[in-house]
Amino acid sequence: MNSSAPNQEPSRRGFFQLTLGWLAAIFAVTASAAGAVRFLVPNVLFEPDQRFKAGKPNDYLDGSVTFLDDERVFVVRKGNTFRCLSAICTHLGCTVNRAGNGYHCPCHGSVFDDQGLVKSGPAPRPLEWFSVTLSKDNRLLVDKGQRVTEDKYLVI
Amino acid sequence: MNAPLPKRLWHWFTRTGVGRSIFRVGLPDSNLERSQAMVSSFLLHVQPAKVHRHALRASYSLGLGLITLYLFVILCVTGVLLMFYYVPSTDKAYDIMKDLQFVVSAGLVLRNMHRWAAHLMVLFVMLHMCRVFYTGAYKSPREFNWVLGVGLFLVTLGLSFTGYLLPWDQLAYWAITVGTSIAGYAPVVGEKLKYLMLGGHVVGQDALTRFYALHVIVLPALAVLMISVHLFRVRKDGGLSRPDEPGEVVQQIDLGQLPTNKSYGLMELARGTTPQVGMNPEDEIFSWPHLVFRELLLFLLVTAVVLFLAIFWNAPLEEIANAVHPPNPAKAPWYFLGLQELVSYSAFWGGVVVPGLLVTALALLPYTDRKRHGVGRWFARERVVANTIFSVCLAIAVVLTVIGSFFRGPNWSWVEPWKNPPAVTEGH
Repeated sequence: MNSSAPNQEPSRRGFFQLTLGWLAAIFAVTASAAGAVRFLVPNVLFEPDQRFKAGKPNDYLDGSVTFLDDERVFVVRKGNTFRCLSAICTHLGCTVNRAGNGYHCPCHGSVFDDQGLVKSGPAPRPLEWFSVTLSKDNRLLVDKGQRVTEDKYLVI
Repeated sequence: MNAPLPKRLWHWFTRTGVGRSIFRVGLPDSNLERSQAMVSSFLLHVQPAKVHRHALRASYSLGLGLITLYLFVILCVTGVLLMFYYVPSTDKAYDIMKDLQFVVSAGLVLRNMHRWAAHLMVLFVMLHMCRVFYTGAYKSPREFNWVLGVGLFLVTLGLSFTGYLLPWDQLAYWAITVGTSIAGYAPVVGEKLKYLMLGGHVVGQDALTRFYALHVIVLPALAVLMISVHLFRVRKDGGLSRPDEPGEVVQQIDLGQLPTNKSYGLMELARGTTPQVGMNPEDEIFSWPHLVFRELLLFLLVTAVVLFLAIFWNAPLEEIANAVHPPNPAKAPWYFLGLQELVSYSAFWGGVVVPGLLVTALALLPYTDRKRHGVGRWFARERVVANTIFSVCLAIAVVLTVIGSFFRGPNWSWVEPWKNPPAVTEGH
């Protein structure tokens, strides 16, 4: 048992040593923790390009709604206008199915109308519309990274 | 020398030469040796040499905590064996599941055991929690052990959830897609947390790698640590909870009042809540053989039940994960179905607020309910209010889980399980 320590007057040197020691310890722990967390956040993602070519405009019939499996989108053609609707439910990320004039989500029962607006169910937001442009080689070019409102469409 | 030959041989082996060097005390013959057998063995000394009569009453504890521990042991053993084949790669994982099912010797039964033990562990953690609540066993001095228990409940759910992704089938893929999206609804940190969990924006290779690391090392290590402290505290807090006995004097030593300039033996420092203090000699039973043999028997029973389930019912394996076509309806594991039912009303309220509040309320329970009565008895009359509140919450959780499991069909619409499900129309 060390009985002398508690009775000593705190010295200036002791105070600085203690403060510095604690600061160094806190810094070391915080810095390593921050480094470890930062390490877990990926800097480069090997995810597919957000843009893709959706074929020639005439691949789609007038008045059709076509589901593209790989991209999880619907291409909507009406007359000479083209739009692209996301098939990813805004609730929890399931793929919605075309049902009647609208869309149904199989996971929690959200129902969307043909404009992607929520009719019923737990989805908090409408389905997203993506920008559609025409590429130089006359293909539809969809950019899933770029959202547009439902009244924006490509006219051929 | 009337003992049977094997016993005589065992005696000779454990009391001489090499045998004695390993076992220290052989099979005990006297009460002294019964105590020594417990105290001098690494595996047994976690437990006291003598336990209270009440602690051995199966109708009190129902052995639920011990069963949970045994399931964890089974999960560790079968899990390590599965690791010898499994590769956490989106190209290979599913094929390896098929290999385990059709090619690897005993692969199917090991995977089935792992699956069943995992489901049972979640169930028994919950049952154990109910037992501790209904017997008031979380009260002083066991408050912190209850909090550790709530932590272990969450770690168990985490282990189950991370393991769910590994087969890389449809069930795995969509349960994790839905589950991580719920995390994304948490305020402020939600999206960041989801990104960190998945290592990206979608469930892909990075998510599989991360879930694998969490499942096979991070969470098991955490569970082992927490289970160790949990068991240690059971003993330090005075063994299994039991009713106060009339006339029992609990010796409480205030360590702050003792002079600090001398050294103390262990007996002088023992606090009032160690198993021996306040225990009358006539209430004590030797752990060897009464406790140890019961524990062994229960372990055999649990292993037998898991093996039985694994032999007769296969773990599900659906088609390979397909990011485009969620199964309809896409359902989470059964213990999350109550949550999924809530989430079908609102992802934020049902998926974040309600479970968050529930877990907080559970963790703070021993600090909010501080009355010292009704400990050590099932459904004590003095605790009728607390028991009613708990039972109502439990009933709601069970009803929601049953609805999510049996009453929800395609597009999460209401179905009655005794009728034929309506035909699913998929119109792409």
